[in-house]
Amino acid sequence: MNNYTESKIYTVSKLNKYIKKLFENDFNLQDIWILGEISNFKLHSSGHMYFVLKDKESQIRCVMFRGNNCNLRFMPVDGMKVKVRGDVSVYEKRGEYQLYVKEIIEAGKGELYLAFERLKTKLKDEGLFSEEVKKTLPFIPQNIAVITSPTGAAIRDVITISLRRFPNLSILVVPSLVQGTFAAQEIAKKIDFLNKYFKDIDFIIIGRGGGSLEELWAFNEEVLARSIYNSKIPIVSAVGHETDFTISDFVADLRSPTPSAAAEMTIPDKNNLINNLSLLKSKITRAVKRNFELKTENINSVSRSLKYQGPENKINQYYQYIDEFSARLNSRIKHLVELYEERVKKDSQRLDSLSPWAVIERGYSICRKIPGKEIIKRLEQIEVGTKIEVIISDGKILSKVEKKEAVSN
Amino acid sequence: MKNKKKVEDIPFEEYLRKLEKIVQQLEEGELTLDESVKTYEEGMNISKICLEKLNKTKKKIEQLVIEGEEKYSTKPFSEKKGEDTVNDS
Repeated sequence: MNNYTESKIYTVSKLNKYIKKLFENDFNLQDIWILGEISNFKLHSSGHMYFVLKDKESQIRCVMFRGNNCNLRFMPVDGMKVKVRGDVSVYEKRGEYQLYVKEIIEAGKGELYLAFERLKTKLKDEGLFSEEVKKTLPFIPQNIAVITSPTGAAIRDVITISLRRFPNLSILVVPSLVQGTFAAQEIAKKIDFLNKYFKDIDFIIIGRGGGSLEELWAFNEEVLARSIYNSKIPIVSAVGHETDFTISDFVADLRSPTPSAAAEMTIPDKNNLINNLSLLKSKITRAVKRNFELKTENINSVSRSLKYQGPENKINQYYQYIDEFSARLNSRIKHLVELYEERVKKDSQRLDSLSPWAVIERGYSICRKIPGKEIIKRLEQIEVGTKIEVIISDGKILSKVEKKEAVSN
Repeated sequence: MKNKKKVEDIPFEEYLRKLEKIVQQLEEGELTLDESVKTYEEGMNISKICLEKLNKTKKKIEQLVIEGEEKYSTKPFSEKKGEDTVNDS
């Protein structure tokens, strides 16, 4: 006590700084979870949150800076039981230790939330959510089963919508608890039962209407997840209202946000299908008709061109050619004949005029020596005493030359 | 008999795809007359099968009653109106 030296006298701020360091170096005080109840909650205009976390016997000041609280999915209120994660340190200005909060989860939900996250990770790692193992639902379901509460709105919605879309559908309602401690176990059992005795069921819708996380909890339990995964019959998970995701949603072959949506998604609209069928049918008829028309047109045009190119036409062409030719030949021959006749006529006329008989007719006569019948044209051809014949128009005169007398001209 | 079983086994959507293919083939117009007659007949047959498949099931709403590990029965499902899903047990 007597030995205080200058160096051992701390300033307040130095002391607080030192204490702060102690806190910060103690890993037992860093990044820890604390369970408590919120009180005196204040959201400052700066965006930082200030509150006190307390239990029955004790309390600690807490601050959650804006940078950390912007991810909060709820607004803390006084009296809320929470789990907070943060570091214990010292606010030097006031010399007060406090909790610097990084994360808050609602205590009740927190348990479930953590369990949910743990199971989700575990099953995902095991491959239960894998797209490859998901089964395809038949396009036209005929027999479906719905595991849900037989008195809830969910089953009414599914039946109404399913029958509106496909009026001749067979629906098997499988009553089950859908919330409470035994619900998951029971749904799982029903799935197994259907797999055992109702192999011809096209798929199973499991579901219920929306609710709190606790109410939907059955659909987050491992026993149900495994049963869904093992089911040979495809499973459609239809839990809650739009935003709630459950483990069942992840494992199921198809996830729908609500039971109504499950019916909309899985049951085809029969009217649409029938309309589509008749459309296809009329398309077929039209196409075939058009095909026939095209083919007929083809045949017509082919037979037309066949007529022009085929043997029948060739022969006809020859016939025609022959006809034409023979006609031409005939007229030509006729012409020739006429020509010859004409010529012959002319010639014979000329012949006539040249014939010695015509001259003789006119009074001329021909003298020929008797032996030899040589026509006498000159005196030297004959002697006195030569026998001659004189040919006249109607006979001949036999005579003897008496005298030769030349004519001088 | 063998044929009949086949029809049962082939799902509706496969027939629908076949039908769409037939339409396409016919619309392309490259089939011979014989082929298009055959294809037409096939198409009409398939659309008949499709319709039959759509009308095959009978409307039935039943409730499963499990009576033991291996015993069960079904009864017609009747909605109990008014009581909602608040308490399921």
